[in-house]
Amino acid sequence: MALLEEPIKGIKEVKNYINGEWVDSKGKIVDVVNPATGKVMGKCPISTKAEINAAVEAAKEAFPDWRRTTPLARSRTLFRMKNLLEENFEELSRIQTMEHGKTIDESRGETRRGIENVEVSCGIPTLMQGYYSEDVASGIDEWVIPTPMGVFGIIGPFNFPFMIPLWSAPYAVATGNCIVIKPSSEVPFSQMRLAELAEEAGFPPGVWNVVNGGRTVVDGMLEHKDIVGITFVGSTPIGKDVIYKRCGETGKRVIAQCGAKNFMVIMPDCNVKATVPALMTSFFGNAGQRCLAGANLLIVGEDDKFYNSFMEEVTNMSSRIKMGYGLDESIQMGPVRDKEKRDNIMGYIEIGIKEGARLRLDGRKPKVEGGCPDTCFVGPTIFENVTSDMRIGSEEIFGPVMGVFRAKTLDEAVQICNASPFGNGHAIFTQNGRSARDFQYNVTSGNVGINIGIVAPVALFPFSGMKDSFFGILHTQGQEAVRFFTESKVVIQRWF
Amino acid sequence: MGISTCSEAISLSKELENNSAKFYQELSNRYEQEKELFLAFAKENEKYVKQIERTYYGVITDAIEGCFAFDLNPEDFQIKGTLPKDDSYSNAVKEALAMEEMIINFYQVAAEQSKHLMADVPRSFTMVAKKRTERLTKLKSLLEK
Repeated sequence: MALLEEPIKGIKEVKNYINGEWVDSKGKIVDVVNPATGKVMGKCPISTKAEINAAVEAAKEAFPDWRRTTPLARSRTLFRMKNLLEENFEELSRIQTMEHGKTIDESRGETRRGIENVEVSCGIPTLMQGYYSEDVASGIDEWVIPTPMGVFGIIGPFNFPFMIPLWSAPYAVATGNCIVIKPSSEVPFSQMRLAELAEEAGFPPGVWNVVNGGRTVVDGMLEHKDIVGITFVGSTPIGKDVIYKRCGETGKRVIAQCGAKNFMVIMPDCNVKATVPALMTSFFGNAGQRCLAGANLLIVGEDDKFYNSFMEEVTNMSSRIKMGYGLDESIQMGPVRDKEKRDNIMGYIEIGIKEGARLRLDGRKPKVEGGCPDTCFVGPTIFENVTSDMRIGSEEIFGPVMGVFRAKTLDEAVQICNASPFGNGHAIFTQNGRSARDFQYNVTSGNVGINIGIVAPVALFPFSGMKDSFFGILHTQGQEAVRFFTESKVVIQRWF
Repeated sequence: MGISTCSEAISLSKELENNSAKFYQELSNRYEQEKELFLAFAKENEKYVKQIERTYYGVITDAIEGCFAFDLNPEDFQIKGTLPKDDSYSNAVKEALAMEEMIINFYQVAAEQSKHLMADVPRSFTMVAKKRTERLTKLKSLLEK
């Protein structure tokens, strides 16, 4: 199979987008490497504090006019953006595959999910309407006006370079706020292209800004008095101890979506033929680098015959997964983002062996198609006899590693799920409505799947999370995002 | 190597539509008596390509099984090159019939394999298979003329 054409040729330089201008950074420059080919595809700046300050200043200046722009006019800008995203759908998807490593189907899926948030935001004229009560007391009326707040910071992770900032950005600007996005410096190109399209769509200078970089930019956002709120997607230690804590200290609103260790609970009555491909996507899709990935497979029941035949199916399909460069349409799984992440996953596989789990499928020497170097590849890996007290059963690995648990009953399975410090996206596979209902009722998980391996809510619904998977109150996406990006102004009126 | 990913399955459907369109264009050049019918088939193929691509790009998400939805053997679904120069009209129509049956089979098999996994894509495949079935009747009637 021939490779799809790469949209980025040679080595592309990333710039910051501040106040409607593309500007060079004075910070250090780092290479951006395509993890599948190992080739340098670009240079990304690690911006300075002065640059994040300049972006916040520009956003602050743009805010009063943007706030006064009518919701309908803001919505039209988003409609134009939505059309531009559709026109550039394939290019945007291929950029993700190049910078992140995911397969082209996965990248297109990410593009679609991102666009859906822009589509929902287009409905802002009705989504941000307030409400009114006449005669709360005789001759006194009262109403609430959702008002925009100012400048928001959006901190994106490396695993969904296009989509995740779009869980927040369109809602923020639709409601009349201005934004500064900080993409991951490992994958800056999707957000650079997105900002080009935002510019083309007609957002006024200063409304949509992008500052590339690392810790300095994040610190700059956290410290800046004019940033009123931050959305963050990343690891639990950073989300909890840095973002959430410091937003609390500085009085900023915060959404911190963090790590996970999701259980896929298998009941013996599940539809095996449909469940196994769903598990492949869940555990090995995006090379396991997502907070909604399956991490632990929990098989319920004492029937060894079912267990053995089910695991046979899972292992067979896992071992046949074709790995390589995602721009080859036949590839089912790409590399992880970089060598450091690969080494971390390899370390966990070693830990699993030492902890006494049974290594049923070993992904340490993956077969990679198309002559790609194996620097960033890890094959599907399956451990059996895993328990919650093992590190591989309890810590987030963020790679294509499946830990297999067993439980005698559904109640025990739910107890195992709930003992995890995380609560992001547990799922059950069953044909029994009662089991499904009991599971969704009793499990502590922000997103719950019933015969769905990736429990990713569509843009109309909040992207939830519980326990150590989420810090904050409101969530990204849908109505909750609209509420997060607006403050309720309540007016009480009486005329003498 | 089999086809597992949705992207590859969509590309194969596009290839089948484009190649069968070329085949009908050649028939239209060669056999004046049914020129309009063959050209209409070729044009209809373009519509199917657009319809299927629109469906795929509209429903593909990271939450469904795009990389694991199929197990197709591409060798089962290939269209021969061009017609022999001296082929008779009835042989050419028989060739078209065989080609249509193969393409319908492709859509049916692909729809069956992905029915639980790919949201609207299998529905779109089934719809195209159904539409193409009408062609079989038309092609058969040409042989009876």
